[in-house]
Amino acid sequence: MPMAFAPEHDVPIPYMQRTRDYYLRLGFAPYRWAHFADVPFTPLARLLAESRLALITTAAPYQPGVGDQGPRAPYNAAAKFYTVYSDTTDRIPDVRIAHVGYDRVHTTAEDPNTWFPLAALQQAVKRGRLGGVTARFHGAPTNRSQRVTMEQDAPELLRRCREDGADAVLLVPN
Amino acid sequence: VCHQTVSLVARHLEAGGLPTVIMGCAKDIVEYCGVPRFLFSDFPLGNAAGRPFDAESQALTLELALRVLEAAPAARTTVQSPLRWRADTAWKLDFSNLDRMTPEQIAERRREFDEIKAVAKAKREQA
Repeated sequence: MPMAFAPEHDVPIPYMQRTRDYYLRLGFAPYRWAHFADVPFTPLARLLAESRLALITTAAPYQPGVGDQGPRAPYNAAAKFYTVYSDTTDRIPDVRIAHVGYDRVHTTAEDPNTWFPLAALQQAVKRGRLGGVTARFHGAPTNRSQRVTMEQDAPELLRRCREDGADAVLLVPN
Repeated sequence: VCHQTVSLVARHLEAGGLPTVIMGCAKDIVEYCGVPRFLFSDFPLGNAAGRPFDAESQALTLELALRVLEAAPAARTTVQSPLRWRADTAWKLDFSNLDRMTPEQIAERRREFDEIKAVAKAKREQA
């Protein structure tokens, strides 16, 4: 009896290779992805049940007047943002992902909980699993320029997380 | 580039003394960049926090990320969620796959890309 191996394509999608081939065919130079040999590491200072977590998202606040940002919306560059923003975690905000390249064939972007887990975080706090969520969440602009991300946005996000008294940070890309 | 952006940010936060964990769907981009802790869901991009309208999957995804945050023994810890998007794995073949596009579709994509770039450029300059 043959062994039941999984199909060969059943691996994490090779996004770097896919997009490299794709943009080459479209006539663009290959993108050089960020790559580091060394990775920093900071252990948690206290138990999670005593820690306050900050949430960083790449989702954008809904902006009236700049076109469709709803479920199934085509890629909407007009809804992009270019500076770090922050908003309260007292209520669930209206943040969308029409401005980024999520999988539009297999995802409709109807349920914000799939990209913005604030409700789940609040549940974890209620259960006592997590000490708390910081008073604000923060939005990170997705920029093809790695220099802008590293020199402007990342330091600004660190500053804001510290200001909010975060003990740890959860980051959710799209 | 969303996954690259948060990877770069996570590295900066961690170097600045804040422990981080990323929830994401693009394994290669995050690991190539190199991050401290990563909960990988093998789902289409846009579902890093769990399956749509499935509170249980969203709660499990968060719980796994929290466990990675508290238990990772060293940098570059990746844990893959046991959840599957669906039984049929053919969806993985679709994303930006040239083998599945006609020359006309590729030309159309090029036009769309130029349009998107022009809009983004105007918006960036305005910002």
